[in-house]
Amino acid sequence: MEFYTYVNIFETKGLEYLLLLSFLVLFILLVRYLSGYGKKGPDAGDKTSKTGH
Amino acid sequence: MDRRQFFRTSATVGAAIGAAVLPIKKAKAEATKENKEFIGVLVDTTRCIGCRSCEVACSVTHDNYVPDVKNDNALEKIHDTSDKQWTIVNRFKTEKGDVFVKRQCMHCWQPACGAACLVNAMYKTKEGPVTWDGDKCMGCRFCMISCPFDIPKAEYHSWNPRIMKCNMCYERLKEGKKPACVEACPTDALMFGPKRELMEVARHRVYSHPDKYVRHIYGEHEVGGTGWLYLSAVPFNQIGFRTDLGTTPYPEYTKQFLVSVPLILFGVPALLLGLNELTDRKNKLSESSEWTKPGEEHE
Amino acid sequence: MSNAAVFTSEFSRVFRFFLQELKPRGKWLTPFNVISIPIIIVGLVILYFRFVYGLGSVTNLNQEFPWGLWIGFDVVTGVAFAGGSYVVTFVVYVMRNDKYHSIVRVTVLNGLMAYVFYAGALVLDLGRPWHIVNPIIGNSFGYNSVLFLVSWHFLLYMIAMFVEFSPVIAEWAKLEKVRKFLSALTLGAVIFGITLSILHQSGLGALFLMAKPKIHPLWYSEFIPILFFVSSIYAGLAMIIFEGTISHKVFKDLIGDGNHKRNEEIVLGLAKGAAITMFVYYFFQALLFVHEQRWNLIHDFWGYWYLVEIIGFVLIPCCMFAYAVRNRNLGLIKVASVMALLGIILNRLNVSVIAFRWYAADHYYPSWQEIVVTLMVISVEIWVLRWIITRMPVLSKH
Repeated sequence: MEFYTYVNIFETKGLEYLLLLSFLVLFILLVRYLSGYGKKGPDAGDKTSKTGH
Repeated sequence: MDRRQFFRTSATVGAAIGAAVLPIKKAKAEATKENKEFIGVLVDTTRCIGCRSCEVACSVTHDNYVPDVKNDNALEKIHDTSDKQWTIVNRFKTEKGDVFVKRQCMHCWQPACGAACLVNAMYKTKEGPVTWDGDKCMGCRFCMISCPFDIPKAEYHSWNPRIMKCNMCYERLKEGKKPACVEACPTDALMFGPKRELMEVARHRVYSHPDKYVRHIYGEHEVGGTGWLYLSAVPFNQIGFRTDLGTTPYPEYTKQFLVSVPLILFGVPALLLGLNELTDRKNKLSESSEWTKPGEEHE
Repeated sequence: MSNAAVFTSEFSRVFRFFLQELKPRGKWLTPFNVISIPIIIVGLVILYFRFVYGLGSVTNLNQEFPWGLWIGFDVVTGVAFAGGSYVVTFVVYVMRNDKYHSIVRVTVLNGLMAYVFYAGALVLDLGRPWHIVNPIIGNSFGYNSVLFLVSWHFLLYMIAMFVEFSPVIAEWAKLEKVRKFLSALTLGAVIFGITLSILHQSGLGALFLMAKPKIHPLWYSEFIPILFFVSSIYAGLAMIIFEGTISHKVFKDLIGDGNHKRNEEIVLGLAKGAAITMFVYYFFQALLFVHEQRWNLIHDFWGYWYLVEIIGFVLIPCCMFAYAVRNRNLGLIKVASVMALLGIILNRLNVSVIAFRWYAADHYYPSWQEIVVTLMVISVEIWVLRWIITRMPVLSKH
């Protein structure tokens, strides 16, 4: 209580927004990965046949 | 009954029910009318000689375990209040010699234990003491989790456990007496009164003897202000006080959550119903469709 | 008059049917019975001591640690595990996705049983359990308490889940009219139930908001409620996968071995959901890590312990789920769901017990009696669950 210093509670906001951007990019990659994009093999073929019909 | 009369009647009935059920308006009016001040106690640790008369007086008043002050060597190690004793005195060895510190419930302005209690067994009285009501308590011990000073203590070895903590001798206050510990103190280390007056005394002592006291009155702002205030010759973290508790009243930490509850309660069902409407209406799912054979559908 | 007669005859039929169904079926000396019966007997003896001589006679609870294993594991973790019920009912009834319809009954049943027994275990932990009705009736409404809310929501959610499950009971008792009426209530109960779940899953986290100075800063944040809610989604999904694996072994004859392909699709779908939620949860934690500048705190034992939880039991099972979904590896999905569940146990216990008062010289650890009673609660739950599953049309044969 004897002295006051300026404390910025939002000091890390910049980093947080960077994290957010990386999250968005990674999330899109994850969802694409999970739905089997770019995968060679029977599943990928299955996928296209499903969308076809 | 015509329509207008119907509306008028229902409005009156509604208002009457509202006034009876919702104590909100009434409570507000009371608060401005009564203008009662919370009382508290100022503890001047520089005056305490560690005689522990307060411990004895407290236990005698509340039928708790009365310590054998002369022979039990309780000051030898730092200890805490317990389910048997509502107040205890600790001795701290500091650069300014031995300092004795009485410990009991701080009687917070906005007590965390009271906000934690789901049955209002722990509650703050109009006069200021935080008290416990055994007829309501269900023994969940959430008050013990929440209290920043770890004051409520449970009787673990009883089939019908009580929550034990200082009640600032609420029953004595109602008779117009001081708390037992204050009355028993032989050195005026304890002073009883409304917090506003206690703060004036405390500030006066600190300002007139700047060499004797640290410039900090513990309890002035801690956890939003407490009923009990402490003066000390050494920094408070050296005599067993937590100085990292902050000045936010503890119930505020749950405010955001509790405010969002009604929002979610009426927002989410509407959202879910909306989502449900947006889905394919032709796809009519019946509860039992997976369990009955295609021809014998129930619906 | 004839209506009443029909009613009484129907009632007595259902009653006789019920008595007849109560009788045990099948072999008695199964490995599970051999283990669980002694546990239940010992547990009952322990509970006798607990109610006669107080909590202190059988638990290691003390003034510094008022909540131990019975709250931290049975209630806080058990309820998180029961989260699958609201997730699946959301997908099936709100989003009308019939892919998961065949698991909806067993999931709701699991959720209902988990609430009855694990939230019910709260009664064992209450000092004065006969006052448990106080927050619900009487003049003791502690509106200001998070626990008030959680207890009300437990109660209401149990009712909602019971309504969701009740058509099955009516179908079992061959009460066709009742069943029709009850299944008309399903969507309402589901919507109400999901709302309540969101609130009390996060409410369990909000219980610890006022314990700010006592929880290690790596586990305390003002966002505990959100973290608890998000993690309950994948906890529920992982639990469905885990329970499904077991019930496919145990109730082989009830399920029948047709349609492996469809079951596989369901598990893959659940695993996909788990991977996405865990990923989101991991980033929530990462965001908090940055916001609260936690890098200063990770250089001691508690820091490493935190990293074990977040990386070892969130990030790694998340990646395992993702990899397993892409490669249709069901074995790996099972391993990942067990790891995710362990991560939930770790997280809930860290907040409520382990990192609670991390600075204490004598830290709490559960007594053997507390562990036996916990195992007893689980055993009794499995007994009741087994009884219901073998009698009522819970598992889909389609």
